[in-house]
Amino acid sequence: MKLTCHNCYEIWQKNKDDQLDDIINATQTAVDQEGAEFFPTLEQNFRARNIDMNRYFGRKGQTNQDIISDLREEAQDAINRTLEVLRNRIDQFGVSEPSIAKQGSNRIVIELAGVTSIQRAKNVISSTAQLEFKLVEEPEIVWSVLDDIDRVMRIKQRGEALTDTTTEVAKSEESAAADSAQLADGQKANEEEVSIDDLFGEQPEEEAQEDTSLLVDQNTFAEKPFTALLRQIRGSGFIAVPQQNMRAVQRAFSLPEVQAVIPSDVEFLFGNEPLIYDDGQYQKLYLTKKEPELLGEMLSDASVQISGGTQSLSAGEPYVSMELNNEGAKIFSRVTGMNLDRQLAIVLDGKVASAPVITTKITTGSASIEGSFTMEQAQDLALILRAGALPAPLYSITENTVGPSLGQDSINMGRNSVLIGLLLVVFFMIIYYKAAGIVADFALILNIVFVFAVMAGFHATLTLPGIAGIILTVGMSVDANVLIFERIREELRSGKTVRAAIDAGYGRAFVTILDANITTLITAVVLYSFGTGPVKGFALTLSIGILASMFTAIVVTRLVFDIVTSRYAIKKLSI
Amino acid sequence: MQLLQNTKIDFIGKRKIGYIISGFLIVVGLVSLVVHGGPALGIDFTGGTSLDLKFQNDVTASELRASLSDIGFGNAEIKQIGLDQANEFLIRVEQMEEGTEAASMIEDELHKDFSDNQYEIRSVLEVGPKIGGELARAAVLAILISMLGILIYISWRFEFKFAAGAVAALFHDVIITLGIFSLLNLEISLAVVAAFLTIVGYSLNDTIVVFDRIRENLKLLRRDTFTDIVNISLNQTLSRTVITSFTTLIVVAVLYLFGGEVIHNFSFALIVGIVIGTYSSLFVASPIVLEWQTRTADTKKGKSAILRKAR
Repeated sequence: MKLTCHNCYEIWQKNKDDQLDDIINATQTAVDQEGAEFFPTLEQNFRARNIDMNRYFGRKGQTNQDIISDLREEAQDAINRTLEVLRNRIDQFGVSEPSIAKQGSNRIVIELAGVTSIQRAKNVISSTAQLEFKLVEEPEIVWSVLDDIDRVMRIKQRGEALTDTTTEVAKSEESAAADSAQLADGQKANEEEVSIDDLFGEQPEEEAQEDTSLLVDQNTFAEKPFTALLRQIRGSGFIAVPQQNMRAVQRAFSLPEVQAVIPSDVEFLFGNEPLIYDDGQYQKLYLTKKEPELLGEMLSDASVQISGGTQSLSAGEPYVSMELNNEGAKIFSRVTGMNLDRQLAIVLDGKVASAPVITTKITTGSASIEGSFTMEQAQDLALILRAGALPAPLYSITENTVGPSLGQDSINMGRNSVLIGLLLVVFFMIIYYKAAGIVADFALILNIVFVFAVMAGFHATLTLPGIAGIILTVGMSVDANVLIFERIREELRSGKTVRAAIDAGYGRAFVTILDANITTLITAVVLYSFGTGPVKGFALTLSIGILASMFTAIVVTRLVFDIVTSRYAIKKLSI
Repeated sequence: MQLLQNTKIDFIGKRKIGYIISGFLIVVGLVSLVVHGGPALGIDFTGGTSLDLKFQNDVTASELRASLSDIGFGNAEIKQIGLDQANEFLIRVEQMEEGTEAASMIEDELHKDFSDNQYEIRSVLEVGPKIGGELARAAVLAILISMLGILIYISWRFEFKFAAGAVAALFHDVIITLGIFSLLNLEISLAVVAAFLTIVGYSLNDTIVVFDRIRENLKLLRRDTFTDIVNISLNQTLSRTVITSFTTLIVVAVLYLFGGEVIHNFSFALIVGIVIGTYSSLFVASPIVLEWQTRTADTKKGKSAILRKAR
């Protein structure tokens, strides 16, 4: 599985604005389409617009070059930290002999053997696991913001002029209380379907095809076009969005007019699990402070516990219990002490996992995340929290899964091919070169043992193309021997004695063997550096095989010949 | 047993036949490539998702297609592989928009529609869109870099003429193999590119052995013409060339027959490459060196230049 971390730079931005987004998008496009390098292109784009990079990155007074080199360092650091976190996670996952390696400047290649649930492995590996604790805003503030949003939506809808804001503000205090009663609470009594056009005005072409009907309360839609999209869940105080209205709500949030009226220190967050009722699904909506009170780094441990039966969890249900470190526990104690009766949202990867009410000051530094977890889900979450958050999001580029049956088949086929191929070649060599053929075969077997030995020594993985490389070695290692033997035959034909023929044969052939094998080695090396996983394995076995065959052909077989001819007076060489 | 000893085949004399055959193969290959709009690329390069599933009971490709149409994959490529009774299918879909979990969607849908016919996942390959293009670029670059390395090395050890002849033979081999793949509509995957690179390196073996002999004979047989020397060298090395190609061919053929579906195209590429490579060492590389030699200088003068270079 190959992952890439190409949004690392987002973390270090300050003063985010549209211009910055433009520049970064342009850079990313160039990288994707033309294969350009990210950081130089980024710098070019800044220069082209005549903007200093220190407006958005780094410190005042830093030159672009400095900033680029700092960013590069940060990126490298992020990748290394990511590798660490991934290693931790995978170690805890319990896979034997995982392979996690960096590739290039922002890619990671992970190979896991013996994983039974692929989806689970993917989740554990790629979830960012950014944990934050944020205070949920009090209801009055929520209504006030909703009111402001309704106001701008109305204006947008009908092109109404902005009325006097002071009267609006005064009005909203009273209407807030009245309105809360008016929000329908999950019953379809007064609901009607309106088209998304009614809400936003004109529709851009692409969206026209999708289902654009929204569920709103007809009483409130005219006055409060946005709030009408929401529901209040009776008895819990949650605000929720019917699944059908989700797109419209998200779109509303992205409008610049709406963003302008949402105070800069708060943000809207969705829950990470939908509420399911008979009449459909709803997503929970919270308004929280933007700044987190606590971060995931302050966790010292996370574990799965079984509930004994509480208000929110039935007995036997698992939940994730977290322990904060000293610093975290102190902060937690302060925050809970100062904010009794307020909700503290536990936010995981930008979604609210739960938002319990702070009932007492918590000095022990323990908190818990509850949800409808299966045991496995709870365990995975605890694992991820323990291993730490990823410094930057990961995206999967390639995934290759091989099932156990294919794996076993491949082993069988690979083994059979090697044995059959080996047998045939051995047989042929004996027929064609007689006793000398036996010597060559001995060298051949030595080659193969050597290749396996080196691979085992480097802990290299044997892939199917790797086996192909070994098989190729079988064919090619004969090459060197054939060269020598043919030479010896020639020398014998020209009348030389046995010893002289052997000497001449080896001497002459050496140069040829060198030239021929080095060129094959060049391509094997290029293959190794350009190739990915399986291709690399092939290039590796090929390279080792070539080197081994050169050695055995020139040194080992020579040795055998020398020993034999010095012990026995050979008049006629069996070759 | 001794085969092909003391042969006296006039390779150089017959080289026109070689040119015609090579020319024919290259043209046929190029035409096929143009007609098909390039080689058939595997998902390693185009991006997309490929699933290899084995069903317990009988099922037809059209039934699978009907099921996949429900989730918008009606134009997926569905191929039955292996034996008929094996009920093994290869499903391949194009790259969808970023974030679509094509593999899980397909798996879920098949579970739903064929709940009484269990299937087993043999393998899944998901390749993102960006990396495909990158890999293609890297592949071409790799082939060019190796050729460059080889050009330099041979120029250093022999002479530029020889390097040119060798590299020309390599291009010849790669293009014809590519053409044959296009003709038979075989997919080029990453492994096949690796096979091409192997062919490049391996085909060179034979060529260098011949060159080496030519170099040696230039020293020994001072009275013969360049043409004759080349011919003699080719004949002298013939048995060795044939034997080594033969042994490697045995081994690759075994791989092709017993290696299974996964490396089928890979082993086929090697078989074609070895055959063409051997042929080109005899009928392409040396003749080109000869042509260059005879056209740029008179054969006597040229001979001494090479002699000075040779060790």
